[in-house]
Amino acid sequence: MNTTASQWNQNPPIKNWLYMGTLLVVATATCYLLEPHVTLTSQAMIYVLAIVIAAYKLDWVSSSVGAVGAVTALNFFFVPPRWTFEIESQEHFIALGVMLVVALVISHLSSSLRRETEIAKLNEHRARQLQELSSSLAEIDVPERIFALGKRALDEAFAGPNNLFLTNESYQYASENGIPKNVQDGLQCCITEAAALGPGTGRWPGLNAWYIPLGDKTAMLGAACVQPALAQDHAGREHAQALCALLAQALLRLRLTANVQLAQSEAQRQQLQSTFLAAISHDLRTPLTAIVGAASSLQTQHDKLSLNEQQRLLESIVSEASYLSTLTENTMQFVSLTNSPQQIKRDWESMEEIVGAVLSRMRLRDVNRRIKSKVAKDLPLVKADSVLLAQLVSNLLDNALKYSTDSIDLIVQSNPTHLTLAVKDRGPGISETAQKHMFKPYTRSDQSGQRGAGLGLALCKAIAQAHGGELTFNTRKSGGSQFMLILPVEKQPPTKEMP
Amino acid sequence: MTLRVLIVEDDREIRALMQSSLSVEGFEVQTAVTLSEASAMLRHRPPDVVVLDLGLPDGDGVDLVREVRQQHTLPIIVVSARHQEVQKIKLLDAGADDYLTKPFSVAELLARIRVAMRHRGTVLSAAIKKHQLDDLQVDLETYEVQSKGEVLHLTPTEFKLLARLVRSAGRVVTHRQLLMDVWGAEFTEHTHYLRLYMAQLRAKIERDPSEPRHLLTETGVGYRLAVN
Repeated sequence: MNTTASQWNQNPPIKNWLYMGTLLVVATATCYLLEPHVTLTSQAMIYVLAIVIAAYKLDWVSSSVGAVGAVTALNFFFVPPRWTFEIESQEHFIALGVMLVVALVISHLSSSLRRETEIAKLNEHRARQLQELSSSLAEIDVPERIFALGKRALDEAFAGPNNLFLTNESYQYASENGIPKNVQDGLQCCITEAAALGPGTGRWPGLNAWYIPLGDKTAMLGAACVQPALAQDHAGREHAQALCALLAQALLRLRLTANVQLAQSEAQRQQLQSTFLAAISHDLRTPLTAIVGAASSLQTQHDKLSLNEQQRLLESIVSEASYLSTLTENTMQFVSLTNSPQQIKRDWESMEEIVGAVLSRMRLRDVNRRIKSKVAKDLPLVKADSVLLAQLVSNLLDNALKYSTDSIDLIVQSNPTHLTLAVKDRGPGISETAQKHMFKPYTRSDQSGQRGAGLGLALCKAIAQAHGGELTFNTRKSGGSQFMLILPVEKQPPTKEMP
Repeated sequence: MTLRVLIVEDDREIRALMQSSLSVEGFEVQTAVTLSEASAMLRHRPPDVVVLDLGLPDGDGVDLVREVRQQHTLPIIVVSARHQEVQKIKLLDAGADDYLTKPFSVAELLARIRVAMRHRGTVLSAAIKKHQLDDLQVDLETYEVQSKGEVLHLTPTEFKLLARLVRSAGRVVTHRQLLMDVWGAEFTEHTHYLRLYMAQLRAKIERDPSEPRHLLTETGVGYRLAVN
């Protein structure tokens, strides 16, 4: 694979000489062995064959020296007077002269041919590399992989050491580690100038490497340092630039995709925010209207109102205000939970206690004791945020009280893996269309004309999920709805050493 | 003798509301808008009870609570919004006596002040030796606990836990305070001890442990022994 542009220029000369010498020795030995059967002309042909082979395999200089050597050897070993460098007849002198010229021409022609073949092969290889890189880049969607592929492609095409460096606010993982200081400077300079530097580029020809930018002035995504770099190796430089252009293109594609996604999610967030604000302000306005109405009526019509009416207005103010308070609580909790679900404070909590605390508050409104609770004994502790779970239970019971008129069952049970809390009512149930949206924020079932805490169920679901649990709904066969909170039971804390 | 209440609250409306409703009940009411003002008033003429709002412009109130605790045993009631949970617990741990969560009713405020006054001067002593509510009777001197007319057998830890709550009857006791006083300073993070022992106590004392009458849970804060 390592067919680099410079390889055939740099074959170790000692190897070439050995190869050449071996060829001459073999040719001489063959001529010697065949001597009884052939004429001097055939022997000359054997030497010519050796030169052709040498010219095909070796560079022009070695094969030319070889040609001279072959003619000299023929003269020394076989042309009379033998074992001397003297030439007896004029005919032999001319023949040797012609042979020398032929040998030199052949060696020149074959090495040109060989060189062209190699260039063609190299070009084909490079074209294939570009094509492969381009197709593998198309599937990648993380800059880290582009970096890895790019580095591998450069190392494959150039002996190196090669360096790749990505600049981009989002790719700060970068690759600066392990890059020598002078190379870092070159890369930085290349990025600042947004142009290739190094031999043959017209900028900084004294450098021993090419510094090629990834991208252009409008979008600079990094730079590569490629070695070895020779001023005359235009094809090599072009290949390096082509590789870098592919990498830049892939990086740019990623950056643009990311920008589009960012813009989309920002738009979505704003959309959500305005829906949210609209829903919240709607939810706030209704109780506020009732409060302002009742309070102003008390203020201006106080004398005309009967004691009963005054009492009714006061009750309305208190209940609307406490509804507002619940609403605010739910909203704040929902926002903070959706913004940072990982920030909940979990400790070992007892579901029995949480339910007890919620019930004691609920009973103030549930004077007829419609809520019937059944809490299993010896429930496992749950790792939870008790305030959030209390809010969840309180919202479920609140809804059940609002949407039904009959009794409500609150059942807490556990098995070795899960703890479940079910709230069952005998109300009108929830229509299928409403079921689709009920866990989404800002929607509520309006069929009963009752107000629910707008975010209540969405918050309950978010709380359940933040605890690694789930909140499910189903319609009961006997009519009414059942909400069920399912929480995972974790390994209980050690109590053996408990004093 | 008229009882004097110091209200530290920066919101004018809430301050005025508390002032008028406490005055109607016969308290002499002083008000302060900042912690520094409150601290000056405390030095000048200490009141009988302090109602301290969280989120005052000049600090979180912990220093004020510590300062008061160094010199006085007067009760401090913290008024907090729901999102100030952490800060509230910090103040309770620092020595505040009880808390109220906004929004609260005047009735709740008066009830808290009444409970706090009952404990006036008894913060550290075991002055409360007996507790009785409905069918529950606790005598800390004879170590006797009766419920539903029967003498209960409590383990030493269960008794210690109950005794700690009896000494602060009617007031909230934070998880940390309970763990510290019953198990010791190195156990203040072992909330599961509390959960388990409280369940055992409730099983022995309460008629319906899932809806306790005596051992009330203050979700996320601590426990309170009911007094009425």
